Amino acid sequence: MKASTIVLSTIAALFLASIVAAQNQQSKSDPKWVAPADAAAKKNPLAGNTDALAGGKKLFMRHCAECHNEDGSGLQDAANLQLPEVQKQTDGSIFWKITNGNVKAGMPPFARLSDTERWQIVSFVRTLKEEPTGSGK
Amino acid sequence: MKISNCILPALLLVGCAPALRAQESPYFVTYDHHLEEPRNLEVDTSATIGSPGASQSAFIAPYMELEYGVKAWWTSELYIEGQSTPGDSTAFTGWRFENRFRPLFREHRINPVLYFEYENINEASRIFKEIVGNTGDTGEPVAELSKIRAHELETKLILSSDVHNWNFAENFIVEKNLSENEGFEFGYALGLSRPLATMASGENCRFCRENFAAGLEMYGGLGSTLSFGLHNTTHYLAPVLSWQVSENASIRFSPAVRLTDIGSPVLFRIGYSYEVRGFGRKVAHLFGGKG
Repeated sequence: MKASTIVLSTIAALFLASIVAAQNQQSKSDPKWVAPADAAAKKNPLAGNTDALAGGKKLFMRHCAECHNEDGSGLQDAANLQLPEVQKQTDGSIFWKITNGNVKAGMPPFARLSDTERWQIVSFVRTLKEEPTGSGK
Repeated sequence: MKISNCILPALLLVGCAPALRAQESPYFVTYDHHLEEPRNLEVDTSATIGSPGASQSAFIAPYMELEYGVKAWWTSELYIEGQSTPGDSTAFTGWRFENRFRPLFREHRINPVLYFEYENINEASRIFKEIVGNTGDTGEPVAELSKIRAHELETKLILSSDVHNWNFAENFIVEKNLSENEGFEFGYALGLSRPLATMASGENCRFCRENFAAGLEMYGGLGSTLSFGLHNTTHYLAPVLSWQVSENASIRFSPAVRLTDIGSPVLFRIGYSYEVRGFGRKVAHLFGGKG
């Protein structure tokens, strides 16, 4: 077997192993992942803008739903965005977390989106509500 | 030209499927600090087309990239490439394996990324994913050039900033050919880009401005440790345009104009990329990992 074939096979095996290994993470809140006070104090300039909200939904489905699920309930290692501990955070704090991500924990930064687009996502995240568990009957 | 020699470039070109996200970088050569999202796989099919010059033949060099987000701070990429020269021949020119690492975990004014690549290519390679050293087309037949192997290591320091919806990126390149005594070769790539609209509409429109990004790249060689400087180096200036044609697919185009006397006068670049979201999750399911 040629040396180049061995090298290529090894790289392919490592690549596949890294894919499998990268999955085994569990969602847990990170107490150190806190927005600085000045960032948390920022107001959403698009709050109440229904056109912006519609765009925010589209952006959420494109960039966030893969991990956070379409209803924000979270899949495996991603947070449930419906939870009160998320919803009680300020708009500025959520914006900061979208911008910077939590790279160590697997959440990528989305600074590649424009400021306006990130605020649009914040607007949409605000609409995610936990479904009532009981029927009430 | 043998029919079998046409198959690889044809497959690489036909493999193009529709896709580009508006926020996807429009650059062909310059890297910014935005890595592939974890577990996503981007399949990119591109081609570099060189116009004929005084001592250069026209050529087409198709290549395919498989880019995978291993972690939020680590992206891995595999390339395969070919080259065809009209009136000469077509050849498989090799493969490359690259990794990009983000050492800082927050957004900063300037964001560094470290890049490491191993190349197992031959001298017929013409994709020009980077330009380093003192470059020039020797005019030798493709069949002869493809016999000369080049095992190369390449590193880049990528610096990138996002300022008011503009991206500014600077790449500093060092390359070492392990097969020849060429010293260490140097190069650079600079880029700036911006989306044409910064607010997303609620509609799934195909031609709205938010689906387009435009910019400018400049790249070239800076000589080597054997001959450092701009003497006998190639430099290009290249407008770039990207268009997100569907939710997962994008098209990029760039005509690069030569600024010096060496190399092809114009390099046309075209690329199509398709993003497979959650690819790693799906593969992990197959192998019993937690999706």
